[in-house]
Amino acid sequence: MMLGFLDPWVLAGFVLTILSAIFCILYGIRNWNRGGTEKEGDYREEIQWEREEIELIEKLP
Amino acid sequence: MFYLITFTLIYLAITVYFSWLGYRRTVTVSDYLLAGRQVHPVTMGLSYGATYISTSAIIGFGGVSALYGFGLTWLSFLNIMVGVFIAFVIFGKRTRKMGKALDAHTFPELLGRRYESRFVQGFSGLMILIFMPVYTAAVLIGISRFIEVYLSIPFSTAFLAFLLITSCFVIWGGLKGVLYTSAFQGVIMVVSMIAIGITSYYSLGGISEAHRSLDAVTPCIPQFLKEAGHRGFTSMPETFSSIWWYVITTMIMGVGIGVIGQPQLNIRFMTLKSDREINRSVPFTAIFILCTTGIAYAVGALTNTFFYSTYTELPIHAVQGNVDKIIPLYIDRFYPQWFVALFLVALMSAAMSAGSSQFHALGTSLSRDIFEQALLKGKSVAETTIVTRVGIVFSIFATLIIGLVLPESIVAVATAFFFSLCGATFIPVYLFGLYWRRGTKPAAKASILSGFFTSLIWMLLFHQQEAEAFGLCRKLFNTETLAGHPWNMIDAQVIALPIGLIVFVVVSLATRPVHEETVKKAFVHI
Repeated sequence: MMLGFLDPWVLAGFVLTILSAIFCILYGIRNWNRGGTEKEGDYREEIQWEREEIELIEKLP
Repeated sequence: MFYLITFTLIYLAITVYFSWLGYRRTVTVSDYLLAGRQVHPVTMGLSYGATYISTSAIIGFGGVSALYGFGLTWLSFLNIMVGVFIAFVIFGKRTRKMGKALDAHTFPELLGRRYESRFVQGFSGLMILIFMPVYTAAVLIGISRFIEVYLSIPFSTAFLAFLLITSCFVIWGGLKGVLYTSAFQGVIMVVSMIAIGITSYYSLGGISEAHRSLDAVTPCIPQFLKEAGHRGFTSMPETFSSIWWYVITTMIMGVGIGVIGQPQLNIRFMTLKSDREINRSVPFTAIFILCTTGIAYAVGALTNTFFYSTYTELPIHAVQGNVDKIIPLYIDRFYPQWFVALFLVALMSAAMSAGSSQFHALGTSLSRDIFEQALLKGKSVAETTIVTRVGIVFSIFATLIIGLVLPESIVAVATAFFFSLCGATFIPVYLFGLYWRRGTKPAAKASILSGFFTSLIWMLLFHQQEAEAFGLCRKLFNTETLAGHPWNMIDAQVIALPIGLIVFVVVSLATRPVHEETVKKAFVHI
């Protein structure tokens, strides 16, 4: 009986929950500086998109 | 009462300050643009988590865990693996790039533009407008049950009062600064849930001892639950029993997988600057989910030991069968009054952060997806703002009526209903839209319609829980459900999602692809 659980399936769920959180932390650390640049480096499009996004948000009540 | 008023005032003051901070920063649009969207990954993680995890997870699913036990840890595993890792990495990155390329501002708009279909956008918007209030009502019922227990006032009064507060917050507060406020609300949630987790385990003598203590309670499980497959709070239900099907397909898979199709969450990815922000947000969101749902489900199951050792009865008996009251009653009975008030404020923040983004998703669904695209055929008019307001007011009224009509023990059920409906309707078109260039417009229409209507028909005529509640099957066929065991216990998403996926592939292969320019544009950053 590990961690006080009788059923191995419940133990598996409990352990996997913690492992999945650790996995996400490791993923974040490993990829901390990756993905900073876009494939198409056209910032005009990005600025236009963000401008419209902000205008839309500001229009909301 | 003194603590409650003090904490509420401090909470509201800080929320107003953050709203103002957010407002001031977004006023200078050009500065903001040049600086880029430097949303700190912690802010994004907390804000996403606070929108994802609301009172329904803590109160509703915590209560379900008190009834069925630790089997629900599989849901916290899916919450992290599917709700964070797969949602961010597999779906989020492409959603952000495609959203930007197609200039989409809402989730239905992303689908509509990807498949060049106003119908897809309009129908998706309509589905959100009609069914999301059920989920919003569930979120507000969660907090109202707590207020009911804590202040000993009728549920309807608590519900009306809280709906009024949230409405004011949404209408006057707006989306400006919502990122800051929901991150702040997220901090309160994490801190109070960690406090509850540590104190609960500590007072039962540690992790293993606490779990072991539940074995002593197993003989007290009501006979009807044992007959339905309940084998104790530290065991999964008996394989293929009624409870097993219910816990696995509705509670674990319905919410665990359905999260991918949640419009108010998908929209968050579109506001990020680059993939780097997504990568950096993953760990913080995962920690948030572990500290909130992980602890809520574990403490939910442990309430059985606390109630049994103090009152020699199970919590389900102490609340007269209403599982939504178990967590509120546990906190009220076993914690000092100042902590109960603090926890109420944490729940208030959970309900407000989830509720406000839901009301905004509802408002924009009516204005941008239904009004502009489906009715005006894509024309943008000045009245859109008014229509957004109408949408928000409509959804507040719909939430009010649904909240007062819904029966007891409904928070987790209503949440699972909406997640599963969204999952079956949107996941096929969303997944193929991001990953398969060959997907066609008729396939998108057919998949959305088949996923949605299969779910609806399954719920009304086959799945026992909803079929009994709606009573349509009894009226038409003079029987509670058309299916026998185990089909009457299998959740609609398990049936409708594969159908939607198959329909999408088959129809796509048989019909003309979307215009090449549209596909090229959609995949330009990918």
